Amino acid sequence: MTAEGSPAPVPEVRLRDLRPSVSPVELVGRVVAFDRREVVRKSDQSRRPLLSGLLSDGTATVRFTWWDPPREGIERGTILRAVGAEVRAFRDRPEVTFTWRTRVGAAGPGDLPRVDADEIPFRTVESLSPPDEGFRIEVRVVRVAPRTVTVGEERRIVHEGLLADRSGAIALSSWSDFGLAAGEAVRISGGYVRRFRGRSQLVLDERSSVVRVEGNDLPRPSEILERPPVTIARVEDAGGGEAVAVEGIVVGLLPPSGLVYRCPTCARTVKSGLCRVHGQVEGRADLRARLVLDDGTGALTVNAGRADTERLWGVTLEEARRRLRDQPDVSLLEESILETVLGRRLRVRGVGTQDDFGVTITPDSIEPVDVDLDAAAAELGARLGGGR
Amino acid sequence: MALREPAWRVTARELESSLEEEKGEGDRAASYLLSPFAARMNRVLVTGTLSPAEPIGRDETQPFWRSRLTDPTGAVAVTAGSFQPRAMAQLRSSPAARPAIVVGKAHLYRGRDGVGYVSVRAEGVRFVGETDERAVLADIVRQTLDRLDLLDRIAREPDRSDESFGAEGSPRSWVRAARESLRRYPNVDREAFRRDLRPALRRVAGDSGPPAPPATPPPSVTVTRLPVAAPARPAPTAAERAEESTFLDHLDEIAEASADGYADLKELLARVASQGLAGDRAEAALSRLEEEGVVEEPIVGKLRRA
Repeated sequence: MTAEGSPAPVPEVRLRDLRPSVSPVELVGRVVAFDRREVVRKSDQSRRPLLSGLLSDGTATVRFTWWDPPREGIERGTILRAVGAEVRAFRDRPEVTFTWRTRVGAAGPGDLPRVDADEIPFRTVESLSPPDEGFRIEVRVVRVAPRTVTVGEERRIVHEGLLADRSGAIALSSWSDFGLAAGEAVRISGGYVRRFRGRSQLVLDERSSVVRVEGNDLPRPSEILERPPVTIARVEDAGGGEAVAVEGIVVGLLPPSGLVYRCPTCARTVKSGLCRVHGQVEGRADLRARLVLDDGTGALTVNAGRADTERLWGVTLEEARRRLRDQPDVSLLEESILETVLGRRLRVRGVGTQDDFGVTITPDSIEPVDVDLDAAAAELGARLGGGR
Repeated sequence: MALREPAWRVTARELESSLEEEKGEGDRAASYLLSPFAARMNRVLVTGTLSPAEPIGRDETQPFWRSRLTDPTGAVAVTAGSFQPRAMAQLRSSPAARPAIVVGKAHLYRGRDGVGYVSVRAEGVRFVGETDERAVLADIVRQTLDRLDLLDRIAREPDRSDESFGAEGSPRSWVRAARESLRRYPNVDREAFRRDLRPALRRVAGDSGPPAPPATPPPSVTVTRLPVAAPARPAPTAAERAEESTFLDHLDEIAEASADGYADLKELLARVASQGLAGDRAEAALSRLEEEGVVEEPIVGKLRRA
């Protein structure tokens, strides 16, 4: 029995084992991201400073909230030991709160729990979903390319690409340069999955580790990029996918298609000279076609850009603008596209995302398909039987 | 989430055989035309020779055009109104019968005599060359055979789960349609329907020329809705002739006064009822007149002299 007055010993827990409870816990973790703000109390308008962010110990990452934090000394990468932190559940995930009762102090890398690599479970790509973390995967790098993005004030390079194993493919977004190259097989740990614009994405950063492996069982990049088409019903069931291939007939065209004007800064469509983000702008003319592709099992939208639209339509942007000068009615251009593409058979590859209206493919390629009528007649004749 | 309805690949023969509907519930719910061959159609894709369109209705503010699409297995009406301006413009644009691909919504109109008429309300029409027509027809025949095969498998093993059929590559929506077809059309001769597909196959293989109208193939579907036709009716009595004449007089009067040149059926029935020609007797007079070809009802609820 514990003596009256002296607190019960608080167990130190790994973040992976964190469960909402009434009793406070002790934990050690590294600040992965944080944000400072102030909360105004309604009753007396008093302001209370607040620091919130993500804490990781290598086994898991959790959100934390720190009331009345120190003014300085907290940075990305700072390791903290918190004694008497409260654990609550928010949307079924544990979150920790540091209150006036919590003692928070600095700690070193040695205080973080030692995570034996062998302890981390292997997962398949298909089984990953946000906000998973604390797993290992072995995947093929299907493609990867650096891209410069602006994060707040900062310009950073992110390596974006596609990873795949036999079970599926997932987008990669790496904030750290692991020197990845297409075709490599790698074992990855210390990444996490998040949802970005409706797609699952594996995020890697400086805490992640990447090891080259043999990967003889992994699919070759060409197997992913040149997969035979699947039914649109399957793509709808899967909610899209990173490397979707479908084949169908164009049965319609959705607005806006044809000649559109785009904001010179963000490439969003400009309506009545106004960009949704940048206000009044001088729109740049562009061609697009939002094709409804249907294979009899389902239908999806293919957002064809200028090059594909020009090729399918047989009319260039310049020609379209000339036509518009002769007959100033944009809808005539849209009708002309529909009359050219309706009923055409296309094979489309690209990234499929899903929203309330179904799946939309941002195409890597759109190829018209010529049907071999002799072969089709022979095949169907054999199935129908009974001679001709 | 309401996904876009896929366009079922069907032949005119299959559309002609479709007599069952599934009305959606709730607001703006889709309704479906069920075929005996596992198509649960809201939208369809058909191809064949499209005849020049003719206007139906004389109301110029509500134009409505109808054309006939003939494929090697049968024929189906293709319509377009002011709600499908593009398709209507396309239908009107063609002075002669030409091969075309049509995407549209399947409609079933059931007349008072219980006979169903299927039409396709066009959303998209494109006149094409023979090669494109044959390519789409190949797709139609292939998917029709896929559905027939699925029907056979489900009929053989009705207790197997949807998932196990799905694992064989059949979309869930197809399995659902197939089960519904088997339930609603329990006695369908699928072999006869397969035979009906042969002319379509010959067309895919390149038999040229406009597809000949089918030599009234034996019906692959037998759905008995009414007792077998009654023996020839005795000649109408003088009293019946008088009723018909009253009926026609009022029809002419209403049609004369109406904007579109048609007599509204409800209005007509109300008017003759006030003249002592009510209920069954009015209906009987109307059906006699229709049978004799004196009166027709080209639009539901709208009558005119034939």
